[in-house]
Amino acid sequence: MVLRQWRCIYSMQPIFMVMRISQKNNPDSFEQMFDICLFLLYDYFTIKDYSFRKTVGIMDDNLFEKLRILSDAAKYDVSCVSSGVERKNNTVGGIGNASAAGICHAWSSDGRCISLLKILLTNDCIYDCKYCLNRVTNPIERAAFTPEEVAELTIQFYRRNYIEGLFLSSAVEKSPDHTMENIYRVLELLRYKYNFWGYVHVKVIPGANPLLVQKTGMLADRMSVNIELPTRESLHILAPQKRIENILQPMSLIHNEISRAIEDRSHFKNSQRFVPGGQSTQMIIGATPDSDKTILNLSQNLYDKFRMKRVFFSAYIPVMSSPNLPAVSSMPPLLREHRLYQADWLMRFYYFKSAELFTEIEPNLDLEFDPKMIYALRNIDRFPIEINKASYEDLLRIPGLGVTSAQRIVRERKNAELSYDSLKKMRTVLKRAKYFITVKGKYYGNTKFEPEAIKAEIRMKEIQKQINIFELL
Amino acid sequence: MDYLYDGTFEGLMTCIYYHYKKQKAAGIYELSGYQQSLAYQSEIVETDISKAKTVSDAINKLISREAYIHVYYCYLSNDANKENLILDFLIFAFKYGRNIMNFYTHEKVLPINEIYKRVAREEHRVLGILRFSDIGGILYAKYSPDNDISILLADHFADRYKFEKFIIFDEKRKKAVVYADNSWEIKENIMIDNFEFSLNEEMIHKLWKQYFTDLAIKERENINLQFQFVPARYRKNMTEFKMP
Repeated sequence: MVLRQWRCIYSMQPIFMVMRISQKNNPDSFEQMFDICLFLLYDYFTIKDYSFRKTVGIMDDNLFEKLRILSDAAKYDVSCVSSGVERKNNTVGGIGNASAAGICHAWSSDGRCISLLKILLTNDCIYDCKYCLNRVTNPIERAAFTPEEVAELTIQFYRRNYIEGLFLSSAVEKSPDHTMENIYRVLELLRYKYNFWGYVHVKVIPGANPLLVQKTGMLADRMSVNIELPTRESLHILAPQKRIENILQPMSLIHNEISRAIEDRSHFKNSQRFVPGGQSTQMIIGATPDSDKTILNLSQNLYDKFRMKRVFFSAYIPVMSSPNLPAVSSMPPLLREHRLYQADWLMRFYYFKSAELFTEIEPNLDLEFDPKMIYALRNIDRFPIEINKASYEDLLRIPGLGVTSAQRIVRERKNAELSYDSLKKMRTVLKRAKYFITVKGKYYGNTKFEPEAIKAEIRMKEIQKQINIFELL
Repeated sequence: MDYLYDGTFEGLMTCIYYHYKKQKAAGIYELSGYQQSLAYQSEIVETDISKAKTVSDAINKLISREAYIHVYYCYLSNDANKENLILDFLIFAFKYGRNIMNFYTHEKVLPINEIYKRVAREEHRVLGILRFSDIGGILYAKYSPDNDISILLADHFADRYKFEKFIIFDEKRKKAVVYADNSWEIKENIMIDNFEFSLNEEMIHKLWKQYFTDLAIKERENINLQFQFVPARYRKNMTEFKMP
């Protein structure tokens, strides 16, 4: 009973939201309001009876087929993060909680972590995006889960500690609204009928009604809208039916709602949370000729404007031939993807701005050395940095030195001056760092302090290591 | 004087108590694995809960909560010399007080830090790779960790599967966490065999295995990386690596 009252109250929230939207700019808001009220009424009268259930229901051979097709289609989604939400299991008859650090449960043979059950609701798509396996013109097997099947699978996997929760995405079936509504149904079923309070990440379908996005956000832990490609032109060439506005609009909606929910929560302890795990997005690398600079400038904007938790990159794996795409035989640009992630980390944890990573001449990241190394070599006048005196931010600029090491140094040097030896004991990685630091005024690099000399020395070390390996053989 | 304790945390704390109140300890050892040395006499210490509590409280109050947790994790580890490392650390820590954990690389503190990190890392890893099976409505998981981390897992799973019953069985130490009706306890010296899977169990195992193989992207295969994350020694109890 309590549950029902609560649901009623939270159902009202979208109405307030729509009123706010309509006040702002929408001339045909009345019509939209009408639609929404219908939806809410339908919602309120149809799904009410949530009796707690425990038996294992529908599981047959059909499910194997569906799981095969729909997990295969979902595997190119990169995000499998289960972090950012701390929630205890305090529901009646419920199962599941969320841990802030996130937990990885398995690692597949490509070395990627499996944390969530990552599936598509359906792979039956009306769009014709050139890079996508599920596009309408591609003759592949199509399948669709029913909401019950998804819920059942999630619960059964979760009970056995295979997964941390669900990552639900979908191809666009019929219309964005229809698809988003289906996603919402699954979530509702999971949360209220199955009483599942583990981590749930859902994809937002660009172009779906803001109300649906908002309602889904009340139940999800993380939401993401895939930006897919970094420029309007690329998007136009490869995904002609998608519009950048339709992607950015739900992003800003989610951002605003998150801020509002946080603000509310600072006044009312029990106010409803909205996407507590934040939002993320993903783009494809190497399918279009866009430079790293464009990509990282865009991510910087996304972090600044929408407070994104993550921007994921996925190296394009050529699966289809098209005049606008790389040849099918070409290898996915894994190293480039790796460098982009390194740069991404620099922006999120190391106080770097994307502009600092590039020069006028070179719009791409170096493939031989990591971005921080290149930054240091280019700005050699700011180095070497004295470990015992530099600020935390400056320590983070040293190549090869990470957040953990920097924090440890700051904590430890309060007691006594650090020596080179104590850095080693701390397990600081000095392979690259030693060329850019002084410890108690002494330089430990063993080379001339010039970019080219340092590069040559590191290359030599690398070759020596390889020779040693061969000798061992 | 060598103090011998019964293997419990309280026993270890009692030894520390005697070190300060009775006679200085040359070393602390577990009773079962002790070999008589010529240099020192040995004494078997009877575990005393109130004395142990005095020491625990002192660590929490005079040093820090962080230090206490480090010591506890260290006690759970499989390090052969852990008792003496703890003793050395505590002697040093009682002298220096609150800021002790800032001395990360000090010779007395570094081993504690490193062992703590090892145990905590295994704890976090096992939270992910523990695999339950349904046996007649009860969830049962078998594992054999390097360190004795059963007690660290209990709360996490008790909250997660609040309305289930589960058993987490440590093969190596013949020890199990048993949870039912909102409370858990540790049972020692037990054997668990002769059980039957529930009706749909095999099928769910198969579904999971299939999902696990399907999700890998062939073009990105990287077996070494996979081994880094899931070392071979953990794999024998994991559903997805079991041969059919």
